[in-house]
Amino acid sequence: MRNSNQPNNSIAISLLRPKSIFWLNLGKNWYKFSRNTLSIVGLVIVAGIIISAIFAPWITPYPKHAGPFVDFDNTGQPPSLQHLCGTDNMGRDIFSRIIFAFRGALIMAVVVLALAVPPGVLLGLIAGYFQNTWIDTVIMRITDVFLGVPPLILALAIAAMLKPTLMNAMIAVTVMWWPWYTRLVYGMASSVRNEYFVIAADLTGASKFHILFREILLNCLSPVFTKMALDVGWVILIGASLSFVGLGEQPPIPALGQMVSDGARYMPTFWWMTIFPALAIVLAILGFNLMGDGLRDMLETGRE
Amino acid sequence: MKTKENILLDIKDLHVWYRVYGGYLKVLNGVHLMVREGERVGLVGEAGCGKTTTMKSILQILPPGDFHIPQGQIFYKGQDVLKMSFKELQRLRSREIAMIFQDPTAALNPVFIIGTQIGDVIKYSSAFEENEHKEKIKEQSIKALKEVYLPDPERMRINYPFQLSGGMKQRVCIAMAISSPRNLLIADEPGTSLDVTIQDQIMRLLNEIVEKRKTSVILITHSLGVAKEMTDRIYVMYAGTIVETALPEVLFKNPVHPYTKGLLASVPKISGGGIAKGIPGKLPSYLNPPSGCRFQPRCEQEIPICSEKPPQLFEIEKDHLVACYLTQR
Amino acid sequence: MKQATNNEILKIEKLKKYFHIGKDKKGPIYVRAVDGVDLNIKYGETLGLVGESGSGKSTIAYTVVGMYRPTSGQIMFKGKNIGLEASRRSLSSKKEIQIVFQDPGSSLNPRQTIEQILALPFRIHTQTPKRQFREKMVELLEKVELSPDYLYKSPPSIGGGEKQMVAIARALASNPSLIVLDEPTSALDVSVQAKIINKLIDLQKEMHLTYLFITHDLSLMRNVANRIAIMYLGKICEVAEAVTFFEKPLHPYTQMLISSVPVISEEEEKLKPKKVISTGEIPSPVNIPPGCSFHLRCPYKMSICSKVDPEMIEVSPEHIVRCHLFAKLESKK
Repeated sequence: MRNSNQPNNSIAISLLRPKSIFWLNLGKNWYKFSRNTLSIVGLVIVAGIIISAIFAPWITPYPKHAGPFVDFDNTGQPPSLQHLCGTDNMGRDIFSRIIFAFRGALIMAVVVLALAVPPGVLLGLIAGYFQNTWIDTVIMRITDVFLGVPPLILALAIAAMLKPTLMNAMIAVTVMWWPWYTRLVYGMASSVRNEYFVIAADLTGASKFHILFREILLNCLSPVFTKMALDVGWVILIGASLSFVGLGEQPPIPALGQMVSDGARYMPTFWWMTIFPALAIVLAILGFNLMGDGLRDMLETGRE
Repeated sequence: MKTKENILLDIKDLHVWYRVYGGYLKVLNGVHLMVREGERVGLVGEAGCGKTTTMKSILQILPPGDFHIPQGQIFYKGQDVLKMSFKELQRLRSREIAMIFQDPTAALNPVFIIGTQIGDVIKYSSAFEENEHKEKIKEQSIKALKEVYLPDPERMRINYPFQLSGGMKQRVCIAMAISSPRNLLIADEPGTSLDVTIQDQIMRLLNEIVEKRKTSVILITHSLGVAKEMTDRIYVMYAGTIVETALPEVLFKNPVHPYTKGLLASVPKISGGGIAKGIPGKLPSYLNPPSGCRFQPRCEQEIPICSEKPPQLFEIEKDHLVACYLTQR
Repeated sequence: MKQATNNEILKIEKLKKYFHIGKDKKGPIYVRAVDGVDLNIKYGETLGLVGESGSGKSTIAYTVVGMYRPTSGQIMFKGKNIGLEASRRSLSSKKEIQIVFQDPGSSLNPRQTIEQILALPFRIHTQTPKRQFREKMVELLEKVELSPDYLYKSPPSIGGGEKQMVAIARALASNPSLIVLDEPTSALDVSVQAKIINKLIDLQKEMHLTYLFITHDLSLMRNVANRIAIMYLGKICEVAEAVTFFEKPLHPYTQMLISSVPVISEEEEKLKPKKVISTGEIPSPVNIPPGCSFHLRCPYKMSICSKVDPEMIEVSPEHIVRCHLFAKLESKK
């Protein structure tokens, strides 16, 4: 009756010990995410893209069309029940190729973010903690240099210097992506470091490592996760821009930008060859953006 | 102080719920509050007890979409605020009731000069009559600044909020509230974020203004000392219900409700003697509030009926009401 | 260990802390947050430090704890000079001196569990093996009357009073001798405050602690402190034992503050000194007027007050005042 939430048995407590605060609050987090219907729409789109990309060989109607395949009898077919998005100039089913193209796009997004985010976050964390010292200046000015170059031009320049492959396109995009995270985390880290709980840890003798990674870092990660979700869409776009000009995945492996570019010269008669790949890009960005908004609602609103 | 029988504000049985994950936060559970013309009423209670929610309900400035009022009425001059149209509400907010918020820094827009902000209030509060000219508005804002004893009002007008100290900003907020005649002032813990001597000055100022203009005031505070000096009648609130109301002298000499007693015992005295142990337990969860009296889980004198249904306010002597079954035997 | 005086755990001598905030034509501008303070704390006592914002009380607390390095002056803890920043101090002084901050919301890391928060001082300052951590932490929580399941909660999900109890538990984890409490209950309700203050007093007896207690709430101070020091614009105005402080306040500023405390009961009203209305704003510590820093607001101002800064004078044992009104008494002796 008095303190109703007070189990007396500490053994029982250690068995029930939750692994992480996020999972503990999963229900509440889902509630925050789902308040906005659009976030759910975004989640559905993203889930659809990811699942179809993973299971592409099994769920697409014409998996072989995503490889070396030609069917000159069937070129330029408009959208129909057999070919949902029509066929292209080599007779390949555009719908299947789009799904396979998402594979490359998603792989690129995952690799780019996996490579760019950790160094970016680390640099921002260190620069923020050592704010107003030479470490801060050096790191942030280097970051500024990278941010100063127009991103697409930088990516194009690097990709053009190296051989046109998916790997090299990924490297090019990674190089231009990390500074955004540095700047983001720098802002957060430099303010979190002045919070009393960080001061308390410092006063009691915690090591710099502990303060950086156990105290400050966790408090900077929410906007990082949100940005990562949004960035998948943008990496897909940049990747498509690269493959539009022929850098990146080479034919016959499909890539969204490449498909848009190939189909461009057949406009407007054979409109489906360009429009559907372009719509696919838009859909991806839209989905990740909406989901990212929901993620932000979930992670960044003040806890109750 | 004289009390005319004209009732200005009458909140009857107000229930307010907030929608959250897992259900509803049933914050207000039958609030009764009444303010007469020219009266100064104090609303005392701890953090999270629902004082601000009650005030926001009066002005209907609760966060849209997330709240639900299952029952209750708020009568202002005989009309139910909860049923008012948008236009009527606008009139209420711009001409009848003014609110002074707790944190003056947050209440002032940092990118506009003081003059513009007071001018806006004046402009909108007379929007229902002739359009005031710029000169007249300027005059009236300088007059308001003079009334709150801000030095050099002409120059103060063109300052930005960041150039002012906390005490000055709070005076500006008061000036905004009194810049045109109002019938009811709601002051939400004014001065809590300020130093004690400045808080004293602000309270003194408020008192003077209220006495001069015969405005009614609802003063929200968690400081019983302030309530004693500045009010004619005090309401004590706990977990969304009014547990006791009385005149200050009566309340402090003869508290009846166990919560009021516990609260008064916890206040440190400058005569020394240590502080009582406080009140055991903590605020009930609003998600699953107790089905009877909301203080029952912490009450040391409860009887069986206390957990069955919430007690109603019961008049034990003139102007002294208590919501407790212990007094109703 | 050599000690200055046997029963003083902390001795502050001529402490000054200036913050450099820029330049003007005449030279660099300083905020003179602490401007020549002498203070001592005896073993086992609670010394109260009272004052308004800008008085320098928090700065003193932060300098004692190691957040700031003194501009000049000495801080002797158990006979050793610790007037350095925390990063330069020995581990043992970090263990011995702990602080509880004012705002419980920002003094605990919202992304950690209570277990992780308490583990830090345990890990650094005690030799307890990891296996016994949980047991010890539960003991610590019991000391502040929190149940063991609090270990797995995180700060945003518990109330303000409970957070402050966790902050106190964290301060106790390293088994300190001196705890600095900077307005520990100002952000809390009065009933929660009562619980925490009583707990603090019990803990002091149980664990032989010394407290430096800072607050602006005079009624609270009366019931917590053994001796009280009041500060104005970086200097101490008066130091006295608690009872004397309230029954016979000598400094005009002390009288002004005590007379503006809102009280409830009649007996308290009678105890208050005659009402001294404070006029004007609190001056900033950048523009400190010459002479006695309080003279602009003082109702008993004399001509000497705007020229010469008064010295600390011992009016009676354990009661010192810094005011020209009493210098005359001194010279009469």
